[in-house]
Amino acid sequence: MGNLRQPVYLEEKLEQVRESGRLNIRSKSLPTWCPGCGYFSIVDGVTMAINHLQIHQKDVTVVSGIGCASRFPFFLDTYGFHTLHGRTLPVATGIKVANDALTVLAIGGDGDAFAIGGAHIPHAARRNVDITYLVFDNGIYGLTKGQTSPTSVLGFTTSTSPYENQDRPLNPLLMMLSYDTSWIGQSYAGDPRHLSDMITQAIAHRGFSYLHILSPCVTFDKTSKTYSNLKAQVQLLPDDHDSSDKIAAIKHAMDVDNPPIGLFYKENRPTLSDNLDLIVDKARGRNARA
Amino acid sequence: MTDTDIQLMFCGSAGDGTIAVGDIFKRAMAKAGYKVIAFDIYPPEIRGFGKCISRVRVTSRQAYSLKQQSDVLVSLNDSYAIPHVTEIRDFGSVIYDQAPIAPMAEGEHISGHLLPGQLPYGLRIREISDQTTGGSKSKNIVALGYLAGLYGIKGDPFHQIIQEKFQHKDPSISETNLRAFDTSYDEGASTFRLDFIELGTPERQDVGNKVQMMTGNAAVVRGCLDAGLNNFFGYPITPATSIMESLATELPRRGGRIVQTEDEISAIAATIGAGYAGTRAATATSGPGLALMIEMLGLGVMAEVPSVIFCSQRGGPSTGMPTKTEQSDLHLAVYGGAGDAQRIVLAPTNVEGAYKCAGKAFEMAEKYQTPVIVLLDLYLSNRYETVVLPRQNPFEADSSKYRSHLERGVAYNRFALTEDNISPRTIPGEEGGIHTITGLEHNEMGRPNDQIHSKMSEKRHNKLLQAFDHPGITIHKRFGGEGKVDVGILGWGSTFGEIFEAMLMAQAEGINCSAMKVVMLSPLPSQPIKEFFSDCGEILIPELNYEGQFANLVASAVSQPFTRLNRVPGVPMQVEDILNQIRHLADRVKSPTAA
Amino acid sequence: MASTEHYVIIGNGVAGNEAACHLRQRDPESRITIITAGRLLFYSRYELPRVFHESCDWRDFLVNPIEYYVKNRINVRRNSFVTHVDAHRKTLNLAHKEEISYSQLLVASGGASYLPAELSDFAPLLNHFNLYSAACKVRDILPSKGKIVMLGGDVLGLDLARNLLKEGYKIILVATEQTFWPHRVDSDERALFLGALRDMGVEVIEEVKIEQIQEGAPGMSARHVIFDDGREIFADVVMPFLGLLPAADFMMGSGVDFERGLLVSTNLRTTDQNIWAAGDVCQIWSSQENQYRFYYGWKNVKKMGEIAARNMTGDDILWETATDHKMYLDENKQIISPYWEHD
Ligand SMILES: Cc1cc2nc3c(=O)[nH]c(=O)nc-3n(C[C@H](O)[C@H](O)[C@H](O)COP(=O)(O)OP(=O)(O)OC[C@H]3O[C@@H](n4cnc5c(N)ncnc54)[C@H](O)[C@@H]3O)c2cc1C
Ligand SMILES: Cc1ncc(C[n+]2csc(CCOP(=O)(O)OP(=O)(O)O)c2C)c(N)n1
Ligand code: SF4
Ligand SMILES: [Mg+2]
Repeated sequence: MGNLRQPVYLEEKLEQVRESGRLNIRSKSLPTWCPGCGYFSIVDGVTMAINHLQIHQKDVTVVSGIGCASRFPFFLDTYGFHTLHGRTLPVATGIKVANDALTVLAIGGDGDAFAIGGAHIPHAARRNVDITYLVFDNGIYGLTKGQTSPTSVLGFTTSTSPYENQDRPLNPLLMMLSYDTSWIGQSYAGDPRHLSDMITQAIAHRGFSYLHILSPCVTFDKTSKTYSNLKAQVQLLPDDHDSSDKIAAIKHAMDVDNPPIGLFYKENRPTLSDNLDLIVDKARGRNARA
Repeated sequence: MTDTDIQLMFCGSAGDGTIAVGDIFKRAMAKAGYKVIAFDIYPPEIRGFGKCISRVRVTSRQAYSLKQQSDVLVSLNDSYAIPHVTEIRDFGSVIYDQAPIAPMAEGEHISGHLLPGQLPYGLRIREISDQTTGGSKSKNIVALGYLAGLYGIKGDPFHQIIQEKFQHKDPSISETNLRAFDTSYDEGASTFRLDFIELGTPERQDVGNKVQMMTGNAAVVRGCLDAGLNNFFGYPITPATSIMESLATELPRRGGRIVQTEDEISAIAATIGAGYAGTRAATATSGPGLALMIEMLGLGVMAEVPSVIFCSQRGGPSTGMPTKTEQSDLHLAVYGGAGDAQRIVLAPTNVEGAYKCAGKAFEMAEKYQTPVIVLLDLYLSNRYETVVLPRQNPFEADSSKYRSHLERGVAYNRFALTEDNISPRTIPGEEGGIHTITGLEHNEMGRPNDQIHSKMSEKRHNKLLQAFDHPGITIHKRFGGEGKVDVGILGWGSTFGEIFEAMLMAQAEGINCSAMKVVMLSPLPSQPIKEFFSDCGEILIPELNYEGQFANLVASAVSQPFTRLNRVPGVPMQVEDILNQIRHLADRVKSPTAA
Repeated sequence: MASTEHYVIIGNGVAGNEAACHLRQRDPESRITIITAGRLLFYSRYELPRVFHESCDWRDFLVNPIEYYVKNRINVRRNSFVTHVDAHRKTLNLAHKEEISYSQLLVASGGASYLPAELSDFAPLLNHFNLYSAACKVRDILPSKGKIVMLGGDVLGLDLARNLLKEGYKIILVATEQTFWPHRVDSDERALFLGALRDMGVEVIEEVKIEQIQEGAPGMSARHVIFDDGREIFADVVMPFLGLLPAADFMMGSGVDFERGLLVSTNLRTTDQNIWAAGDVCQIWSSQENQYRFYYGWKNVKKMGEIAARNMTGDDILWETATDHKMYLDENKQIISPYWEHD
């Protein structure tokens, strides 16, 4: 990030964190994000959630891909694996298959998830791997300094779309719903309380939980998904939304102009590990679970 | 005692039970105590009744290659067998149906195609099948019984294998097949033999539970299981699929977990994930899959995570020849990837070696904290050999260098620079061992850092050199005598079987030669190769790829000149081909001016 | 000659092979197929007694090395039994249901050992010596210095007998009218020759008929022969040597004339213009004797093979009636048959 200003760790932010008593979950490394980047509140939300759920740090493994978002593990004092661009989910799956006792968080940006890593998502979802997938959607490639991403809006101008983006953006929530994801939610980096609450729920869910986090890239996006734009657009899911009603969830997910935040859909079904245990039972000729 | 060495070839269509009868034969022979090597060829198409060939070589001492010429051909379908008559040696036998059901035109019966030196053995195959079983389905068993009777092979092992084969079916099926076998066995036993094929008595001492007949892929599976494999991730691809298929049955029986991933990238990603989490994990693929895995492999190198990748090579590049054998993924396996990505590459030369390398790969991956690629090829993956497995599990259950108790409480550096360049590791869930690993260049703590690149590169390179002395595995070996020789043959992978055979034949002709196999291809044991070369007047490196990929490797490490022998026929190299080159080089040593 | 010709020869004996050799010389481009019921290439049956002392490897009996067949492109289809010939369609059928077309056919299928009807019941207990496999079998079952009963005693049998006597075996000859076959022997000569045989050490039994041949009791000799006068002999093998019967059953219904053998004129052509015959299977017209008659023996048969081949490829050579070979006693009073000479 040669031509960026050196990252600054905001004193007030540190103070807040210290007060919350969650500092031990933060690593000694200072985040390398640009000041004002939405990701700061996500790291905060995660530490709060882990704290709230009283999970021991040693039992948490944070897996990420490549991107600004994927720098995440370095800023937590948990086990971490900063993998390859787009490969978060399969590595996380391997870790979970190897050790069920771990709380595994998978983290990536919108490009990491839906461009290069897109092929892995339906499979993690349908297998219901018991991990929490947090996708930080800034609608841009941050780390590589501002190129178009699969969630960039139509008409968005970037260094690789100087004549405006003509590729229709994906609708991640609709995709995740169609993949039979067992827990789907959306939150917004500009609402830390909502965010930490949603992260807590996502981690608590037994199965594959997908949390889509709208997060501004203050450095490379001055027009599209800015704090002010998002603040105006984002709305809470209606109180009466039934999180077991997939059709309703789909309808809400289609509202791209006013993205609703909250829990879209949730169901309980056996996880990958449950099924692998079932296979072991079957292989050993034991009575399979009812 | 006569040394046994006979090779049979069963030829017919898929519907004739050709592969099945070859299977019964080789299993029975192995049960009887003989050594077996066998290779089947299936039709390339999935559907239809294409040509099937099963070749089985039976010997008193284990052979590692199939002979170019078989001694006996059993035709279960003349139209498929006729083109292969030329593969039977002079005074070899051809067994066929003497009383087929339908009239045929001239040239359609195999008897008209026998070469003058070959001996016809006609049998009423279909008729006997009809009489004994009420149908023509057991033609293969009839031919088998005749064969066993003809060569005086004891019937009991055949009975056992036939019973095993049909044990899941109606008991009457087993009975009728045994009847078919016995009837033609008697016919065979009373047939006057004109060939000169003699079976010696097998070496009994090996006969026990641990002598087994298996394919290279099955040996890999056994090696994995004996090494305590916990997790396997794979994506189907010929010729590696059968590894995953057997593990799908076997691994859960031992409490292990196997996942069929969405592609090879996820297969190796999950393998590395599991390796990071501290279990023994592996994946298996072929060239196209390995190509997809290469980026992840680099991550494994950089982040120093143990992983084991089995790669069974087929014809390439690209989708290439999925059902043909080749040794052309060597460059990819050794060099593939971004940056200086040193890794361990092992290439067994035979089925027993496949077992050894498979198990040892896990020890090495853990001990040296690295990806280990085990390179096989279609021929080795699919061929059967009798193997003597050690009674004691030869593999260490855990070879990791863990952080010691003394180090607890001290700030933990995952990538600490140590004397042996191996950093003590911890695994997620462990108190006080928290760390983050990354594919970015990093310092001892694991934090991204560009300043330390030289030092870390050296660490990653040097730690692997210790694998040269890894206990319990032969990483190179010289055969055929020590000291100065006129011709030395250097080889790797399954082709070493043909090399070994050619060396023996050359020695029998009086050529002073010896051969060396190299099992560890990365890091390359260049010192022993240099020493071997300095003993040889001329050196030959035969391999199944166009450029001489192994030769390139050797050339970069050793300055002495050598001769390449590169073939890409899609089938194993011909022993005769290698032998001719040896003769040629031997002549050159004798009269250097002629060169 | 036309190069598309397919010469098919039924029979892999002297006649057939001699013919093949000449056909190849005279028509280099043609296809030549020899069909034989046997499983071996052409070997010298006259040498078979050697299985008792020297070699028992059939390769040592081969008349031509295997390369000969490759070089001369002679396809010897072994283990193939001809069941039918259709002269009209110019095809023949093999027992395994394959149909072969020929442009010219030479029948040289020789003769099979003759066994009279009254002995046919005992066939399983009899041993022959006409094939390599049969010879090996006799060798395998004969204990050293064992006892052989020979029925008849044609020249083939006598040849074997004199060889076996040298090896110390015991021979009992049951004389019949086929004794000395195919020599024509009058009663004086017969007495003389039988006497000579006795002098050689052969036990000769005359004027008896076989009543019964049985398997010997366990622990005893393998065969038990009972004669109509009540005499009994125990022996290890019983071998019929009663002359040959032409092997031409498959020609029945082919449209070609035959009597006991295939009838041919002196140019060895049958009554079908594309079918020829040579060797033990054919009866050649003898204007001298005014009948069709057989000529046996290596030399005769070989000559026939040559004549047939040449005539099949355009010559017109005639079989000259040979003088009959006579049996005689040499200065040591040993029986000698000219049939025992061959090249
Ligand atoms: C054991 C033995 C020893 C002899 N020793 C002497 C000797 O020392 N000196 C001498 O001068 N003569 C000897 N003869 C003489 C013999 O009688 C012949 O004259 C000569 O062998 C005849 O040759 P050929 O080619 O006509 O027939 P053969 O040699 O009898 O050959 C006949 C061939 O026809 C084949 N055949 C027959 N029927 C069929 C069919 N339906 N389908 C396919 N193939 C068929 C047979 O398989 C065989 O290959 C001996 C004969 C025998 C049997
Ligand atoms: C195989 C590969 N291709 C390309 C890159 C370069 N690269 C790194 S991050 C990135 C995009 C990051 O965008 P996103 O995932 O949205 O994360 P953000 O930086 O926006 O958080 C790219 C293209 C890479 N590291 N690896
Ligand atoms: S996402 Fe944008 S704002 Fe955030 S760190 Fe990356 S470049 Fe900076
Ligand atoms: Mg992004």
